Amino acid sequence: MEIMNAMGTTGGYDRVRLPGPNGTARDLSRRQFEALPLRERVSYLIEGTAQFFRGGQPINPSDAMKG
Amino acid sequence: MSVAVKALEMTRQATEAIVKRAETRFEAHRQEIFRSTDRMFAGLLIAQWLGGIAFAFFFSPYAWAGKVKTVHAHVWIAIFLGGLITSLPVMLAWKRPGETMTRHVIAVAQMLWSALLIHLTGGRIETHFHVFGSLALLAFYRDWPVLITGMTTIAVDHFLRGVLWPESVYGIPNPEWWRFLEHAGWVIFCVSFLVMSCRKSMRDMQVMAERGAELEALSENHWRKSSVVDRAATDAGAR
Repeated sequence: MEIMNAMGTTGGYDRVRLPGPNGTARDLSRRQFEALPLRERVSYLIEGTAQFFRGGQPINPSDAMKG
Repeated sequence: MSVAVKALEMTRQATEAIVKRAETRFEAHRQEIFRSTDRMFAGLLIAQWLGGIAFAFFFSPYAWAGKVKTVHAHVWIAIFLGGLITSLPVMLAWKRPGETMTRHVIAVAQMLWSALLIHLTGGRIETHFHVFGSLALLAFYRDWPVLITGMTTIAVDHFLRGVLWPESVYGIPNPEWWRFLEHAGWVIFCVSFLVMSCRKSMRDMQVMAERGAELEALSENHWRKSSVVDRAATDAGAR
């Protein structure tokens, strides 16, 4: 399955799991994640708390950001 | 300060620095586009001025009153009115490149050049294509309000001249009353697509800047992890 990102290129991730309050987690689609404020996205990436998925499989953040 | 609070503060500072750099990159890219387009228009406006004078000299150099030959008003209009239209935007492009006012003044001047060329060619319909070419060139700024300024300028020009001096703009003394609306409709058609293109282009530039920030954030995360590993290795070696 080819995933189209905001730049119109393919690859990368299709879902992201972000930490929520009290140990909960929230799943976002790529489009929803990219719609978050940049400050919030950057902060998750620095902390390494965002988990990226492609086709239901977890992938390395570096691979996720390649597409 | 506890380790957790210190870590949070470090993350906050790093986030701010990365976001700031992304905003700076985006703004620098925009400014480069604005300045290079200002330079392009400065050259184009001067070329249009010289071209307008040459055109007036070639096609309507003289006027006759009986046996008296005089220089045709078109030549003086091309020299002086053309010079007036050209001077301010060229000066702003030279002295204040990249500023909002500069590109709006350039938009007005460029559309006034369309109007002047239409007048100098006696309202030839082919010269009206200059309007559409100019709008496309104004879209190089990727700043859609500039297109609205240009569109408004040419609409006001066509309306006023259509009422006061129709031959100057349509080449005939009594055009249909709705001729102005027909021209305006095509300009709106063209501008609406150019506005969409400008907005998309600006959004793409922003996404590029944000993608850079995300990659920087990943690097920061890798650096932090590797620092911890390095420290652990150093500590283990010391023991």
